[in-house]
Amino acid sequence: MRKSLVFGLFVLGCVLFLAALGATSHVRVSHFLAVSRDLGDITATLKLTDISFSDDARYTRNPSQADIFSAFQDYPGSIEHFPSGSVTPPPDFTSLGAAMKVRGQ
Amino acid sequence: MSLNSHMNVLDFTLLSLLRRKFKNFGIVLVFTLIVFITGSILFLSYSFKREALLILKGSPELIVQRMSAGRQELIPVDRAKEISALPGVSGVEPRYWGYYYDLLVKANYTILASSGSLSAGNRLLQGRLPGPEEKGVAAVGRGVAKARFIDIGSTISLVSSAGDAMDFDVVGIFESDSELLTADLIVLGRPDVIRLFRMPPYMATDLAVTVRNETEAPVIAGKVRSRFPDTRPILRKEIIRTYDAVFGWRSGLILTLFAGALVAFIILAWDKATGLSAEEKKEIGILKAIGWETSDIIEMKFWEGLVISLSSFLLGIILAYVHVYFFGASVFAPALKGWSVIYPDFRLAPFIDPYQIAMLMALTVIPYIASTIIPSWKAAITDPDEVVRG
Amino acid sequence: MNETIIQTNELTKYYNKGKANEVLAVSGVSVGIRHGDFAVLKGPSGSGKTTMLSLLGCMTRPTSGSITLEGRDISHLPERFLTDIRRTTYGFIFQQFHLIQGMSVLQNVMLPLYPTDVDLPKLKKKAEGLLEGIGMMKRRDFPVQGLSGGEQQRTAIARALINDPEIVLADEPTAHLDTALSRDFMAIMKDLWEKGKTVIIASHDPIVFENEYAALVVEMRDGAVRNVTRK
Repeated sequence: MRKSLVFGLFVLGCVLFLAALGATSHVRVSHFLAVSRDLGDITATLKLTDISFSDDARYTRNPSQADIFSAFQDYPGSIEHFPSGSVTPPPDFTSLGAAMKVRGQ
Repeated sequence: MSLNSHMNVLDFTLLSLLRRKFKNFGIVLVFTLIVFITGSILFLSYSFKREALLILKGSPELIVQRMSAGRQELIPVDRAKEISALPGVSGVEPRYWGYYYDLLVKANYTILASSGSLSAGNRLLQGRLPGPEEKGVAAVGRGVAKARFIDIGSTISLVSSAGDAMDFDVVGIFESDSELLTADLIVLGRPDVIRLFRMPPYMATDLAVTVRNETEAPVIAGKVRSRFPDTRPILRKEIIRTYDAVFGWRSGLILTLFAGALVAFIILAWDKATGLSAEEKKEIGILKAIGWETSDIIEMKFWEGLVISLSSFLLGIILAYVHVYFFGASVFAPALKGWSVIYPDFRLAPFIDPYQIAMLMALTVIPYIASTIIPSWKAAITDPDEVVRG
Repeated sequence: MNETIIQTNELTKYYNKGKANEVLAVSGVSVGIRHGDFAVLKGPSGSGKTTMLSLLGCMTRPTSGSITLEGRDISHLPERFLTDIRRTTYGFIFQQFHLIQGMSVLQNVMLPLYPTDVDLPKLKKKAEGLLEGIGMMKRRDFPVQGLSGGEQQRTAIARALINDPEIVLADEPTAHLDTALSRDFMAIMKDLWEKGKTVIIASHDPIVFENEYAALVVEMRDGAVRNVTRK
């Protein structure tokens, strides 16, 4: 078989494989979408605000919520947020329409 | 030129590439690795973002917290009445929640007061939630259940802030499909949460506000803020944005770690592609001398770049997909999720952004082809005689 | 078959013109070569033979003067047309053979016609026929770098003939060969000449120019024509 054909078949095989992956992705995403209705129900019922990614320290469990606590609590060796978790100032999100305009401020 | 001649040139290119098997397979290998790493990170952070967005769609539009001396404080429950009187507010409910550090397994749990039951037919909870006023029962997340080896019907014992042990009968366990949300939860009745944390009466952790129209949430937040200057309203939109930023930051961190490898590859590709070796220059001269046109040589170089970069791209993206969505991103997940005692154990839903894939392809395949063609251009347009008399 | 196929007129070629290392390689050469000629460009090294051959073979363009091929002035044609002429009219045998290393004899012979519409199996058959004709069939799949000088040259000859050229050009073909192999080479050239091809060879080897069928001998020195002998 000529080499250009072999290469063509290789590319075609990869593309077909990707297409098959895309199809399984579709199935799995629709499964997740079905589950996500129930997840949304849990979020709404329990009024949850955050994803349970990491609870290595209390303040990492609910990154969206202000906390009573400070760093260096359970694991003084945890250096992640020392001395600052950020390198740059947060970007300006006013364009998203979520800005709070407070009188007198 | 017809299809046949293009195929002939491709044939020759492949023949030519196979002459330096070791070198060219090496390049494909490194290139594939780069696409694999970048693709994995893109897949991972995109799926996280999409899942976060879907999961948090049901969370309260507005949370009102009270701040005291710059720290969060408990909020008096009677403020709920005043806030619910604001126009546009459809309901205010106090939330009772907090963290519990378990010395036994050295993990943090999230303790939460139940405020109703899940809708019938929710498949993500085995058993039931405690009623809002029920005492002595708990529903726990899969992570807690695993850490404490408990099942429905067992008892979980917690130590209250007063120092006495409180036992709870486990009446519900969240299914593993919900771990991304519930892994470390312990849901109790409200009186139990108040007793466990020794919260003063008529105080809640914060207030969850529902509004009639979400676009008005910022306005209502502003009103709450001016009515109670010691409060801090948190919008759902801000939360979702926070997650976007967190994943962006984490994936950026990983990309930074791999930037060294990326730069090394760029140098390799640059060196390989731009520094046309004397031998390659001579070959181009020979091909021209025996009757190849400049355009044929450019085409050959195009094929050369395409064969290497397209193969690497396709292999890399397939490997990245399999790695992220079939093996749970075992290589990068630790860096993206962070370390934790209770790990949410979950399979990501393979959300795919065609735009991202197209971008990745454009950023890998096209520059590589360009860097193969451009240097050979000069060799291809010089008189063959210069190269051949050499 | 006696009309002129190539005619040069005051052909001049400078290398690196206008720079410090400017070289006048060919100066004011006017020569006519006829259909079916067996022409030899003779002269010591540095006399401008190779440059002359490059000019005749459309590998480079003259600084001034003109070349006409079958009555058509080709000295100022764009690159694309020159390539086309190289591909359809000429077969070039280089002094250093210039085979592509790492490829087999057969692949090297097929090389010139890859970027054309030719059917590869047909091209392969044709290349095999040519290799058969010069006794290289047994080396068909050998990588060229493992061949002896004579075998490399035969491969180069087969490659030059793959496009059925009207004109065969050879630059110092016997420089790397011993006497016996040189005679073999000349036998192949004679054979081609007898089949009606025009053969042009640049050489300072007596084996090449001292033979009865070398009809035209152009003697060059310092880039200019010293003497033209036509038998």
